[in-house]
Amino acid sequence: MSTLIMIDQPPYGAWTGREALDMAFSLAAFDQPASLLFTGAGVNWLRQSQEAGGIGQKSVEKNLSAAPIFGIEAILADRSACNTYGLDGNSLIEGVTLVDADAALLTNYDHTAFAG
Amino acid sequence: MTAIKTLHILNKSPDHPRAAKCLEMVSEEDGLLLIGGGVLFLAAAKLPDAGKLFALSPDADARGLGHLTGNASAVDFNGMVALSLQAQRVISW
Repeated sequence: MSTLIMIDQPPYGAWTGREALDMAFSLAAFDQPASLLFTGAGVNWLRQSQEAGGIGQKSVEKNLSAAPIFGIEAILADRSACNTYGLDGNSLIEGVTLVDADAALLTNYDHTAFAG
Repeated sequence: MTAIKTLHILNKSPDHPRAAKCLEMVSEEDGLLLIGGGVLFLAAAKLPDAGKLFALSPDADARGLGHLTGNASAVDFNGMVALSLQAQRVISW
């Protein structure tokens, strides 16, 4: 059974995104196939050079870099949302696959859940 | 610094419905201070021309946007306090 965790909330403002990340990592750690899909303002998780020390947090960029270690199958980002927020190959972190977040994409997963 | 009539403090990302309502209300004598998820407007490039634009630099840095302040003036936490004192009134969105 494959699970898709969707994050459509921007980073740092709330804890739901980090909780979703924990959920995905937990699934992967127990050998359950899991992928992450970032849509809407959620794609801002994937920007390079996040320096969160000034707001007393750790960079979510670092959290995400652990995804392959846990065995997350894919980090997906909605193409049009990336356009909206000026994210391209130069500004995205490594290992992100651009997709169209539509109904056809979701048919690839047995279970899709949102954060928050 | 000239006086600010209303300081709009926006912490909602461009996708949040309240953000659009805020931008509608910014007039020429106002200031718009982007904090939290609001700084994502610096990347989304659909800001109004009216009023003076500010962005809280620790929040912009956290989101990898510290270099993108563009026509926004970067302010730190002390600067935010100064702005709120300078404004005749404040709306926290």
